[in-house]
Amino acid sequence: MTGFKNFEFVAGLVLIVLIGGAVALSGLLFPDGGRAMDLTARLTAPFTGWNHPLGTDPLGRDILARVVVGGRVSFFVGIVSALGAVVIGTVVGLLAGYYRGPWDMFLMRFADIQLALPFILLAMTVIAIIGPGLDRIIVLMIVAQWVQYARLIRGSVFSLRQAEFVQAAQSYGLPDRKILFGHILPNAMGPLVILATLNVANNILLESSLTFLGLGIDPLVPSWGGMLADGRNYIQTAPWVTIFPGLAIMLTVLGLNLLGDWLRDRLDPLGATK
Amino acid sequence: MTDLKSRLLIAALAATTALTAAPALAEGTLTVAQRQDPANWDPVDTFLVAWGSVASNIYDGLVRRDENLDLQPGLAESWEVLDEGMRIRFQLREGVQFHNGEPFNAEAVKYTFDRLLGEVGGAGPQQSNYTTIDRVEVVDATTVDFHMAQPDPVILTKLSGYGAMIVPPQYIEENGQEHFDMNPVGTGPFKFVSYEQGARIELKANADYFEGAPELDGLVFRFIREDATRLAELQSGGVDLVSDVAFSAVPTIEAADNAGIVAVAGPSIYSLALRTKDAVTEDVRVRRALNMAIDKQALIDAFLAGRGSPIASLQGELSFGHDPELEGYPFDPQQAMALLEEAGVAPGTEMTIDYRAGNSTFNEVAQALTGFFAAVGLNVGLNPIEDGVFLNEIVPQGRTNEMYQFSWGGWTFDFDNTAYLTYHEGEKWNPYGTSDEMNALLDEQRQSPDQKLREEILQKVAQLAHEEAYHIPLYNEETVYAVADRVEGFVPAPDKRLRLTDVSVAE
Repeated sequence: MTGFKNFEFVAGLVLIVLIGGAVALSGLLFPDGGRAMDLTARLTAPFTGWNHPLGTDPLGRDILARVVVGGRVSFFVGIVSALGAVVIGTVVGLLAGYYRGPWDMFLMRFADIQLALPFILLAMTVIAIIGPGLDRIIVLMIVAQWVQYARLIRGSVFSLRQAEFVQAAQSYGLPDRKILFGHILPNAMGPLVILATLNVANNILLESSLTFLGLGIDPLVPSWGGMLADGRNYIQTAPWVTIFPGLAIMLTVLGLNLLGDWLRDRLDPLGATK
Repeated sequence: MTDLKSRLLIAALAATTALTAAPALAEGTLTVAQRQDPANWDPVDTFLVAWGSVASNIYDGLVRRDENLDLQPGLAESWEVLDEGMRIRFQLREGVQFHNGEPFNAEAVKYTFDRLLGEVGGAGPQQSNYTTIDRVEVVDATTVDFHMAQPDPVILTKLSGYGAMIVPPQYIEENGQEHFDMNPVGTGPFKFVSYEQGARIELKANADYFEGAPELDGLVFRFIREDATRLAELQSGGVDLVSDVAFSAVPTIEAADNAGIVAVAGPSIYSLALRTKDAVTEDVRVRRALNMAIDKQALIDAFLAGRGSPIASLQGELSFGHDPELEGYPFDPQQAMALLEEAGVAPGTEMTIDYRAGNSTFNEVAQALTGFFAAVGLNVGLNPIEDGVFLNEIVPQGRTNEMYQFSWGGWTFDFDNTAYLTYHEGEKWNPYGTSDEMNALLDEQRQSPDQKLREEILQKVAQLAHEEAYHIPLYNEETVYAVADRVEGFVPAPDKRLRLTDVSVAE
């Protein structure tokens, strides 16, 4: 059991460090941003030469460069939107859970409404109205995901506010702000971190789906979802155009999920006692 | 007796199709897959090519355009242009019946055009093509006179168009317009059998067709949205003929062992229009430089699988007004850079191309264009826009960036159709204006009944547009069909109307 857990951790870490590292250094590795095109070398097969180790796409652009550079968008969207959702969700959850009453009532019904809207439908509607863009995708994902964090935190706060150390803090007359952020929040952090890690993976998938559907970003900026969409028409004649960005998505999501699982086992008190 | 017979036949047919629904390849039946369902079969309610490919088998017009785009007699046996183009007299074919048994005669012609030019036609997109017709007069049962409001040099071509298909008066009056939308009746080589919205329409041969019964017993059109799915159906034998084939799939079909590609020069041209006001492209030297930056043949080879030809004006070779003498700007990045420098455009200057999102081929072409522009030192970005916004707001209101997509499929194959719309004052696709000279030329050819003179003027229009470099004309697309090997005798027409009278299928 522990052996497997360690393996999970190592495998997850290696995947994320390798992919994340390459993406972080993409500016140095591929200064042209994967944009250089050469129509005479279009659809070069992978593993046939050192110029284009993973082949080229229909415009003769290097797939390796585009996969690495394309990761920037995915990681950026995944991480920023998860952080945004954590912040908003945490604040709402703390307020609702601590003050209860009409606050709780109002915020949680709002959350229910939010949960009832299918994400893709919401995304397509909003983007049809205000147009596509990276910033909009991030806002949409935050809007769609803060609810999960709010509910999680609210649940923890419900039980924590009865705890002795909280009651002690209250009896000292500490302001609510200090009790919430200084005493309650640190004790509710564990599950939050786990959920956020898993959600980064989820967000990377969502970003890819949205870009695939054409709701995403500038077509000149490489991104994994966009590369999948571009390769769709060539899947019979040049499958590598689709396979490599697909692999990148899969490995990143796998790595993040492994890390998230491992974190859960480490941080979850029930898991630890087992 | 015949009635009973045909009913039995229908019942038998229905039974067989029900039994063999899965493989769908009944003997003598051809199955076509196309992207779009026009969702309405009334000729006056549509402008979709998806309508024309199906309904050209159901309806006839007074005249018909053949595979070489020459006009042939249809329901009219002959015609005469009288009174300097103000009156056209048609002699109608005798003894023709609509599919419901109703006779075709002069009254049906009058009814068709009264309907098209009246309230019913006004609700649809076809009416505006025919407003040069003032009224139709019945002379006798087989003779009609078209009285024109003004001479229209392309009216005969237009009479082969969608809106001018002859419809059955009694049938429509008895059953109502809405019934007619979903249950079309015409005089054509195939009769309507059934229609399942979004899925398929089935037709069967009209044994009494005035030009002889078609080779096929039945014709089925299936509507399949995904490009890849249509081709998968072809490869698995579910359909025999696929239209709207994506160029990227051409190599796959060419390599397939049970199907091949049939292509024909089409009406569609693609170009980038240039903003001639309040932008860096105001300067004609910049516009010419942009023209010289593009290797059109490389685009065709890469993204159209070679199925297209470079153009020098906004028309293909088949268009009336095409000038074989007119040469486009050469692909010359050196000279392009020199011109840009002369015009004071610094390297790294930013420009943007607005284009219609959703066409996967043009999406690739647009990306490649930015590469060509980068090679002459320009930093060009892309701005894909939703069709509705692009067509109704951005272009007509003159809110485009420096370059914007102009693509057009002038089904009349007459340059007037495209040129008037893009170069004449106040037209939708001319938001930034051209010149007085251009306006005068365009007006002159519209008033002239002399086709030779018109051709010369239209060539002059193209020449002028070339000198001013209002556009970057890119290419004229071929229309590509993927056809199963068992299909024989398929000759596509350039106007994308699939008239399948001479096609047969091997067993």
